[in-house]
Amino acid sequence: MAVSPLIVHPTDALPNPRSVSSPLKNANSAQTSSNGTPLVAPTAPSGAQPASLDVAEQLNEEEKRKYVKGKKLGEGTYANVYLGFLRDDPSKPVAIKKIKIQKEYTEGMAPDAVREIRHLQELSHPNIITLHSIFSSKDQNLNLVLEYLPLGDLEMLIRDEKGVKYGAADIKAWMGMLTRAVWFCHENFVLHRDIKPNNLLIAADGEVKLADFGLARSFSDPYKPMTSNVITRWYRPPELLFGAKHYSGAVDIWSVGLVFAELVIRMPFLAGNTEMHQISLICQGIGTPTEENWPGVTKLPEYTAEKEVHPVRGRDYFLSMFGTVGTHGVELLMKTLILDPKKRVTAREMLNHKWWQEDPKPTRKQDLPKKSGGQEKVGADLKRRPGMVEDEGKGSKVARKLDFGGGN
Amino acid sequence: MATEDARYRQSSQYRLWSFTPAHLASLRETTNSLAQTQISNRLRSSDTPVDPLPNFLTPAEEYQILNHFTLELLRAAPYCHLPTDIQATAATFLRRFYVTNSVMTYPPQELIKTCLFFGCKAEGSFIRVQKIADIFPNTTGEMILAAEYVLCQGIRFAFDVRHPFRALEGSIMELRRLGDFDDDRINRAHKRTRDILKFSPLVTDVYFHYTPSQIMYAAMAIADEELVQCMLREAFTGQGEVAREKIWGVIEGCKAMLEKEPPEKMNTYWTDAESTKAIKVIRRKLTKCRDPDRVDLVALQKSRREQATHKPKAKAGLQADEKVFGNSNNEERESKRRKVASNGEDIFGPPL
Repeated sequence: MAVSPLIVHPTDALPNPRSVSSPLKNANSAQTSSNGTPLVAPTAPSGAQPASLDVAEQLNEEEKRKYVKGKKLGEGTYANVYLGFLRDDPSKPVAIKKIKIQKEYTEGMAPDAVREIRHLQELSHPNIITLHSIFSSKDQNLNLVLEYLPLGDLEMLIRDEKGVKYGAADIKAWMGMLTRAVWFCHENFVLHRDIKPNNLLIAADGEVKLADFGLARSFSDPYKPMTSNVITRWYRPPELLFGAKHYSGAVDIWSVGLVFAELVIRMPFLAGNTEMHQISLICQGIGTPTEENWPGVTKLPEYTAEKEVHPVRGRDYFLSMFGTVGTHGVELLMKTLILDPKKRVTAREMLNHKWWQEDPKPTRKQDLPKKSGGQEKVGADLKRRPGMVEDEGKGSKVARKLDFGGGN
Repeated sequence: MATEDARYRQSSQYRLWSFTPAHLASLRETTNSLAQTQISNRLRSSDTPVDPLPNFLTPAEEYQILNHFTLELLRAAPYCHLPTDIQATAATFLRRFYVTNSVMTYPPQELIKTCLFFGCKAEGSFIRVQKIADIFPNTTGEMILAAEYVLCQGIRFAFDVRHPFRALEGSIMELRRLGDFDDDRINRAHKRTRDILKFSPLVTDVYFHYTPSQIMYAAMAIADEELVQCMLREAFTGQGEVAREKIWGVIEGCKAMLEKEPPEKMNTYWTDAESTKAIKVIRRKLTKCRDPDRVDLVALQKSRREQATHKPKAKAGLQADEKVFGNSNNEERESKRRKVASNGEDIFGPPL
């Protein structure tokens, strides 16, 4: 169940710390020095652990000692990102994301950090960014040791129309990786709730990894309402725009569909300036949600639609716009963009779609188009406050408030 | 092998917080003896050295105190109107925290509040810290937050706890589907099992030794063993007796642990003269032997923060220079100095 036949686990990555047993199992063993062995002599003899450390503190020091922090890749208000490497094997790079104490949030550890840590601790999959370790520094800042993904993100590739050429086979490979990532999240009862091209980071070997779990949550029990104020507007499904408090994995699938569309046309498909504008773009681009195509939609708390009713767009319309991925590709895209979330395709159904099997075969990951200068982008991507869009051109239009309130 | 098992083994609960009983016992002994050494050192080196040193709690006494405060946490939880799973997460955090921290080091009466607060957060329910502070006497939000970081580190940043409650709902559906038992019987077993799950696993060590499904079956076996046997027969059809017997053995082990702490204890505990007296004795002992520096978590947190902000190498140099050169309005000199300071860091390595 949990293991897709499509998954190939990476072999050249860091040894997955999750395959080892609990680090507590070494709690009695001799401790090595934590007092900063100089970088020039990583093999320097280690002294004794200062006696004043609790077992918990010792374990923390042990984790901290496994990595060496290098140059700063990015600096933001939420976090700083550093390049780092494994002390025992300097050829194994990592990204260390140091989350800053949020002065304006007076309720202790920030919700996005709690969410990100909670879910990344549990999800281990080749298409989801790996959390190698967490440790705290003396100043009580959190350090997340993440997989190093030096080739930027999918947004960068989509936008660079002059420098990066890609075709149907590449789109199929990228969509395969994204769909497997989302399938794995849903299989583990986690909603990501912020899928978009710049949250899809690219590893050195071309593998795409879903990152930024700052808005993620577990599937809710039926009686527990969730916040509808999630997912960056351009990728937000109609049920959330209408204020639905009980929703499912279908919200992520809509985002996946819009990433798919964006990969094909190389620009955001439905780029609304406001929530109202977003709804109107959906009505025009896909069709007006009505009781006929979506029973119950008018009962949603914030249901609105323009007077003029657009019929749901048919195959020919999508073929004319997205035809480069073939008829089966277009059919799959259309299923991800079904207005009624109950009829929308699931991640599992997506993986069983015939588009993946037909020609052209997806590009092998090592042959996928790449773009240089990804390192700066890694810093920029990871330092962002999870779930926030920063002011980078489109930022002012997409910026949105985050709802940390009770009802999520 | 069942891939559900493989998936459970990926969880932080299995990776970081599952042990054999012997290993758990040795961890607790290590924690206890480390605390004794450290508190001894602190007492001896204080301004008025303590002599003779007090009697320290034994690991067994620590465990008794931990159980007492787990019960206190469960008693307080309903006043915060917390759902069952958050209560259970908070209780689990408390017990995990005290595997690697001694009750002599960090005061459990403070930690239970932080566990309740952070339990909410971990379950995605971001309630105001004041709401928790309000239900306890003489408690401020600051006091609750002071231990949050210590708690997170103590639980090794494993915020996702797997509980057996949903497993129970699933089993009840399964039993109804099988149709071998009448509804009343299933409903009775459902209620009883749920009552057990809300209490017994949280005040014993079963979360450290068994999986959520094993805990659920064990609790159900206390309520109505025949139902469990029937489900096991169903699940192991065609796989032979050996596999089923093995699983049943595990469930029986878990059941024996749960039976030591029946849910009725929640009502009788505070009126039971014997247990109240025993706890009183240990608490009195605890006040004499606890870590003098870590009783006041707010002060501790403050001093740790201060240490962190005053220590950084480059900054310390800057402050000293500022005194010599006057206020650093000179941007150029400022940036140069910063450069030198940060370069120096690499050459000599971080301070000892």
